Amino acid sequence: MCFKNLPIEFDAQGKPFLREGVRNPYGADAAQPTGGARQMTAERVAELVRRNGHDGSVVKSLDFDPVTRVAGALAFHTVADFKNRRIVEARSVATLFRGYEVIMVGRDPRDAIYITSRACGVCGGVHSTCSALAIEMAIGCAPPPLGVLIRNLALALEFLYDHPLHLHLLAGPDYSAAIVEPTNPSLFARAKTTEARHTAIHGFRTIADLMTDLNPLTGKLYLEALHMTRVAREAYVLICGKYPHPQTIVPGGMSSTINLTVMNEMFVRLSQFFDYSKKIALIWDDITEFFYEANPEYKKVGARRANMVDTGIFDDPGAYDATYHNADEWGNRRWATPGAIVEGKLVTTDLRAINIGLEEFVDHSYYAEWTGDGQQQHFATDPSGSPLSPYHPWNKVTRPRPQGQNWKEKYTWDTTPRWDRNGMEAGCYARLWSSAVAQKLPDNPYIESTGHSLKMRVPAGALPETELEWHVPTEWNAFERNRGRAFCMAFTTLIAFNNWLAAMEILKDGDTRTSTKFKMPTRGEQRGVGFWGAGRGYLTHHLTLDRGAVSNYQIVTPSTWNASPTDRWGQPGPYEEAVLNTPLLEETDDPAKFRGLDVLRAIRSFDPCMPCTTHIQSEGGLITREVNTCACGLDE
Amino acid sequence: MSEPVVRARVIVGGVGYPDLCDYSIGIEVQERLAEWQAPPYVTVEDLSYNPIALVQRLEDETLDARYRRIVVISAVRRGDRPPGTIASYRWDGVLPAEEVIQDAVTDAVTGIIALENTLVITHYFRALPPEAVVVEVEPAAHEFGAALSDPVRSVFDTVCELVKTLATDDEAFARLPVQALTFANAPGMRIL
Repeated sequence: MCFKNLPIEFDAQGKPFLREGVRNPYGADAAQPTGGARQMTAERVAELVRRNGHDGSVVKSLDFDPVTRVAGALAFHTVADFKNRRIVEARSVATLFRGYEVIMVGRDPRDAIYITSRACGVCGGVHSTCSALAIEMAIGCAPPPLGVLIRNLALALEFLYDHPLHLHLLAGPDYSAAIVEPTNPSLFARAKTTEARHTAIHGFRTIADLMTDLNPLTGKLYLEALHMTRVAREAYVLICGKYPHPQTIVPGGMSSTINLTVMNEMFVRLSQFFDYSKKIALIWDDITEFFYEANPEYKKVGARRANMVDTGIFDDPGAYDATYHNADEWGNRRWATPGAIVEGKLVTTDLRAINIGLEEFVDHSYYAEWTGDGQQQHFATDPSGSPLSPYHPWNKVTRPRPQGQNWKEKYTWDTTPRWDRNGMEAGCYARLWSSAVAQKLPDNPYIESTGHSLKMRVPAGALPETELEWHVPTEWNAFERNRGRAFCMAFTTLIAFNNWLAAMEILKDGDTRTSTKFKMPTRGEQRGVGFWGAGRGYLTHHLTLDRGAVSNYQIVTPSTWNASPTDRWGQPGPYEEAVLNTPLLEETDDPAKFRGLDVLRAIRSFDPCMPCTTHIQSEGGLITREVNTCACGLDE
Repeated sequence: MSEPVVRARVIVGGVGYPDLCDYSIGIEVQERLAEWQAPPYVTVEDLSYNPIALVQRLEDETLDARYRRIVVISAVRRGDRPPGTIASYRWDGVLPAEEVIQDAVTDAVTGIIALENTLVITHYFRALPPEAVVVEVEPAAHEFGAALSDPVRSVFDTVCELVKTLATDDEAFARLPVQALTFANAPGMRIL
């Protein structure tokens, strides 16, 4: 019984059904989420500002527009109470209509592999793959074993590009000497005398030494991350042709030619991540523990309930058959286990339950409702006969309605995905969490799921073989997101290594097939869903075909979840909730000198991937910067 | 017999995205120049990818074989000149503040390709050839599509010839004005 809010129960065979006697089971009143944070109403915030902000110094707006050092563009509105050092209002604003779903309608579904890849300038491959999986399910086509393994390798390599990029180019500077010393001088003074715990692995004697090499542009860790993105990219293009938009992902596998030369060249690069991932994990372990010990209030930065959702990723070629009906089975055989985690508890690992619990709302988004007004719900059930919400992506109709920004009404182009009506966050750490707790990982010599942690035995490079252990955190906050992402480097590296070894075994047997032939249907209606993952976590592409052409295409990305606005029940989106819980810990009492560093740490810890157009309201008019890539954070 | 004259190496390429009409002029020119029987010291190459990757590509050349000159072709909308206007200059190499460079790196590693971040990042990381030439074309059309607008198509051959000249003729290069990058009017920036 994984649903607490939606009126969905399970029969003795585990088949979900709608509880009887519930009128309008997917109505706002029938299934109301309880607990958790609520956004203060706009009226209450205005009253607070009126009473305390008359001199403009106690309670006032603090806007970040754009939030820098994130992928793409994000604006963030807060109202800060400087006297009590807290945030009283937080609004996450995605500023552009994306349009991929609209572009896809009427097209050959194979176009989605190339078109939706352009949704992101970092992780195009995950969108291509997710498209391919959705098509495979719709047309009934599964790759041969080597195709599955090579696809796993490709995407693992993409994450090995993504994680160091975020940790040391985007989030890392928030913990660097260049930023910590001026904002928290006493903390930096402490860092100078604090010995790092893992010097033997990462080489930094004190925490201040480590912070100095996190400095942007000049720090050794910053520059090393730039180099390591190259190593990952080189390995990736060996099988994908080019980065970030692969040319070899097809329904039914990969079109790459795989031979021992390619595999060896890939290994030369992959093996460089053995030592690098040890180092990264323990650097972020040291940073996290230093901040916690220096001031336990840091545990509240970016804190929120541990509500997470993940589709799992990296298939077992012996299990994946591309069917919806068997999604529970092949999902649970993945190298990263799917999961919905509510209040820190893993409530399901069944991809079909994860799917039927998904709804997407637009109450505070620049879209019109598609339910009501006599609108027929297209699919009442999923392909297994389980109930589906009218707000489910397979039922969604895209109706963009641009309008003025109003916190009470509409303020973002992002939609509001919810699972069992809970605000869930996505991240690579969600897959770490599910995999650690579920104890369903394939047998292998390198990764062990203990039920409360993941043990990772990273092979020797220049550094000796090292066992890393990531523990499910007792508190969930910005530091744990970064620490989790750092340990995900090792997790991903070891998954890639396992898949590389398995691929070598298949090649030794002389089986070089990487794809399966298929025929596109020309009649009837089919649907599929790609359950995959991005470097930033959860990713789904829901696809409906009508006589061989796309009649509906819906993408839910990690940042669709994380950047989502407040929902119809007043529950803030994950960025919003994390910022509302963040204390203001900079060492200044002067609001004019306040940089909002902890708010930015909270937001950046999610690794936002937003639309690449920023609209900045200034006195001189609206300045628009247009670029042409990376729109992960938006819905349409 | 006299020793053959060893020419310093030159790299030529466009910066922009494909299939964005006039904003793809750099790529279109580069593709045309790929058919050119260029002298051996001239490399025509796609420069429209992650500027960090371009830094690494340029650094891969051995010290004695590094490029001396780079000629970059791109659409630049300034708005105060007719579409199809061609402007060429030597970049003065003056870098913006470090915060701007950080933002440029963030843009680059998250997939944004633009003339200014390509030049700024490659120069900051000391990979940009010492002679950096920019050939700008004022665009008219900015939308998805393969076609150039009439004003830009009409100067296409001229741009190609200009680029060839700037790649091979040191005197023509020397006559170019030295100019700063104007970030406010860089590609993609506009004030509504």
